[in-house]
Amino acid sequence: MLSAQEMMRTVEFQYAGRGVSVPRIGSRIEVMPVLALIGAGAEYSRAAGTYVVTYGEHTLQFTPGHRLVLVDGELHDTNDAPVPSPGGVAASTEFIDRALLAPLGFRLEPIPQGYRIAVGARFDDPVIVRPAAADFDATTTLVLTLDRAAEAIAEINEVGEITVVFADASPRLDPSSRLKSTRVRAVSSNGRALLITTAPNVGLLDWHSLDGPPRIILELGRVFPTPTPAPEYAPVTAGPSPIVIDPGHGGKDTGAVSDSGLTERDLTLAVARRLAGELRARGHQVRLTRDNGEGRALTDRTAIANRVEAEVFVSLHANASNFSSVKGSETYYMSLDDQATDEASAALAELENEAGGEADERSDLDLILWDLAQASVLNESAVLALEVQTRLNALSNIRDRGVKQAPFVVLTGATMPAILVEVGFLSNPAEAKRLATPEHQQALAGAIAQGIDAFLRAR
Amino acid sequence: MTRRVFLIIAAAAVVLAVLLWLFFGPGRPSVSRTVAPVDVLPTPTPAPEQRVMLLFAGPDGLLHPELRNVPLPVEVHERVRAIVAEVLIGPAGELQPVVPWEAELNAVFVDGEGAAFIDITPPPEPVNGSRIELLLAYGLVDSILLNCPSLTSVQILFGGHEVPTLTGHLDLSRPLRLNKAFISS
Repeated sequence: MLSAQEMMRTVEFQYAGRGVSVPRIGSRIEVMPVLALIGAGAEYSRAAGTYVVTYGEHTLQFTPGHRLVLVDGELHDTNDAPVPSPGGVAASTEFIDRALLAPLGFRLEPIPQGYRIAVGARFDDPVIVRPAAADFDATTTLVLTLDRAAEAIAEINEVGEITVVFADASPRLDPSSRLKSTRVRAVSSNGRALLITTAPNVGLLDWHSLDGPPRIILELGRVFPTPTPAPEYAPVTAGPSPIVIDPGHGGKDTGAVSDSGLTERDLTLAVARRLAGELRARGHQVRLTRDNGEGRALTDRTAIANRVEAEVFVSLHANASNFSSVKGSETYYMSLDDQATDEASAALAELENEAGGEADERSDLDLILWDLAQASVLNESAVLALEVQTRLNALSNIRDRGVKQAPFVVLTGATMPAILVEVGFLSNPAEAKRLATPEHQQALAGAIAQGIDAFLRAR
Repeated sequence: MTRRVFLIIAAAAVVLAVLLWLFFGPGRPSVSRTVAPVDVLPTPTPAPEQRVMLLFAGPDGLLHPELRNVPLPVEVHERVRAIVAEVLIGPAGELQPVVPWEAELNAVFVDGEGAAFIDITPPPEPVNGSRIELLLAYGLVDSILLNCPSLTSVQILFGGHEVPTLTGHLDLSRPLRLNKAFISS
């Protein structure tokens, strides 16, 4: 609790011609009078320790001592936590402005005696951007990590430069970030845009954005100013789609570690290389998401599979349990995303309601096709998982732990049949010893390859 | 005579003064002077005990149910708090806790769609293994959803933060639904 001396001062808040003097508690301000000024309802649930704020269609929940705010069902992380106070709860003006007023459609504007609450969203708030680049043989992946979610698009401007333009934020580059790339020379900010300066003949191949943390990912590579058009009679010579193998973990992320020091990072790479050999011997194209000890973001692994339009995506892992007795292999595929399906259904219903039965037919069709495509990929993933797990079961001394569904990050967003194989438990000393042997790694690779091959031949 | 009356009156006055001092003097604690706090709360009615199913890790690497009688409030926030508290206390028998570190429940949020958000203490050091992550997530999520029928999903937060994943496997960035695949049959 704060001292009485700190409570002496007040801050004036004005809204719609009315004003209220709000007690200042140290560096924080009583929240309730501010919310009351705009007409927002606020209730404290003593059982939950949570404040529930309602205004129009919006509902916010926050808890003193915590930086999270639940805004209309979405969690938002803030830079500060409100604290208990004599008036209930006090918070910094930044918290009141960004975490409470902004979601309700208000913003704070400083005035000499305090603040004026204005209606409307805040534009041009800075967003801190940390650029990082990874060079590969033919392409460079440029990742722009944002300190908060912000809408942006990547495009080529009128003078041929690559720019990332933000809709409602001013990008500021993190001064501590260092960029090392042979294809990206510099990243600079200019108003609401970032300018990407590249080496000659390097251009934007593709881009997409990701959440958690919010990122914009740009694929850069060699482009030719005037590509020679193919003659109309030229046959289509697209090569076969590869099988993408993802050795789990990497870099500092070792994953599970056995008592003898065998890491999941190294084991999955060893099995992945052997699996690649087995599949190539069966005539398949193969690509690994990593072919060394370095790490890769989970979402980037699936993105690689999507970009090369892989036939199959297989992520390899090794397991660990608190019980050293647990052993055996497991194969997972993505669980049906009920939430996404619900959201799609809700969006469809909303379209129909809004249009009074005359919803945009194209949007309806897109949603239905999207749903069908998801279901189809899921069904194929289940078949692939069963094919692989059946072969793994045939290996001696491996107990069948079955095929299961779970929302694994690395399988999220895959547009092809995708599975995650746990080859065994490193926490089981006997199994870890066997997993360390080249013979068993080869046997595992052979079994997984047989399953993939059988799946692809039956398609 | 006048002097006797005066002495009697004086003695009576002294006795009265002594009595008053004994009852109201500073040396005697006075119950009537205790000031009740302004915001004194009425004693809450204890929640009725109910049999709940809690899930803990078993030696086969799956979740096993443990039945326990606990006071279970009706209000959903309190109900979630009660269930999570019991899961964090751990199993009574041979099973193992699903949260393999000493964790506390920091906060509970519930949105209008039936999604609960529980914030627990983050692990003191990195945790590895998808099985550990799966049993932690579904041990908590399934225990809550099996005992709180008004909820449809649960998201686990660590140290006041959303996390994309705990060990690099399971997607914890969104609420999880009931998944009985990891409950021993």
